[in-house]
Formats: sequence, structure tokens, C-alpha cells
Amino acid sequence: MATATDQLVGYGLVGFSLVLFAYYTIWIIILPFIESDHVIHKYFLPREYSVIIPVVAGLLLLLFVGAFIAIVAWKNRKPTKKSA
Amino acid sequence: MTKLLQWLLTLALLGATWATLTLNLLGLSPLPPAWYQVLWPLPTYLLVTFGCYSLGVVGYRLASFNDCEEAARELQAQIREARDDLARRGMKF
Repeated sequence: MATATDQLVGYGLVGFSLVLFAYYTIWIIILPFIESDHVIHKYFLPREYSVIIPVVAGLLLLLFVGAFIAIVAWKNRKPTKKSA
Repeated sequence: MTKLLQWLLTLALLGATWATLTLNLLGLSPLPPAWYQVLWPLPTYLLVTFGCYSLGVVGYRLASFNDCEEAARELQAQIREARDDLARRGMKF
């Protein structure tokens, strides 16, 4: 069974993804149709960041995944045998 | 046509459509500014949406992870059955 911690983390992830999706949808899809002097624009960064932040985050993620795989592979390397 | 080719073809078509509209390659009358503002970050938006969906599925499956007690009993019964059968044929455990 999923323990209480598992459920907390799991539903936390679900909630985080929903919030992120809602915020990003408002930012990308809805905001261009609202006049630029509306107060809601105060709560969002300038538009170019809507692409820069995900791209940088994705590159960082790839970097960490690559570094993790490299470290694991390096730690598990077997002493190379000389082939006769 | 393999699945990979299907996906690549679909992505290429969507990408070509997006590039045509964003860069206005056909020289049509430009889109209204609001629609253009929606259009140009659209690939990133789809990527982020996919990421959110994946994260949500992982979280939900983690929270609702379950023991399969029925299946465990069935499997143990089958193991017992197989052991009995093999023991009758003279195998020693």
C-alpha cells in the first residue's frame, strides 16, 4: 500500500502540476486577449520569459540527468580486461 | 509505416505549419497581434503541458499505488500446486 508519505508526495505532485498548468495556460493563452493596462499583468513576468524559463529549466534537467548517468556509469565501471 | 515515422511526420507537419504562420512565409496578411502573441510560444506551451501531464500521472500513480492481495493469493496457490505436482513426480525440494 502507498504509505501516508507516498500519498502526500503523490498528491503534492498532482497539485503542483495542475497549478503550473493553470498558471502557464493563463500566461500564454489568455493574457494576450486582456488589455495591457489590466492589473492581472502585474502578476506575470514579461512574455519572453515564458519561453526562456522552460528552456533553461529543461537544459538544466538534461544536464543533471546526464551528470547523474555519467557518475553512476563511472562508479560502476569494471576493470577492463586485456583481451588476448 | 512505423510508429516512429508517423510521429516524425506529424511533428514535421505541425512544425512546418507553426513556422509558416509565425514567420509569415506565405506573405499573407499578418495575424492579429493577440493571436500572434499566442502563436509564437505555442511549441513551448505544448511541451510544458506534456510535462505537467507526465508529472501529474507519476504523482497520481504514486499516491494510488496498491497491493494486489488477490493476485498474490492466486500466485501462491499456483506455486503450491506446481510444487505438489513436481513432488508427485519425484522431485525433491
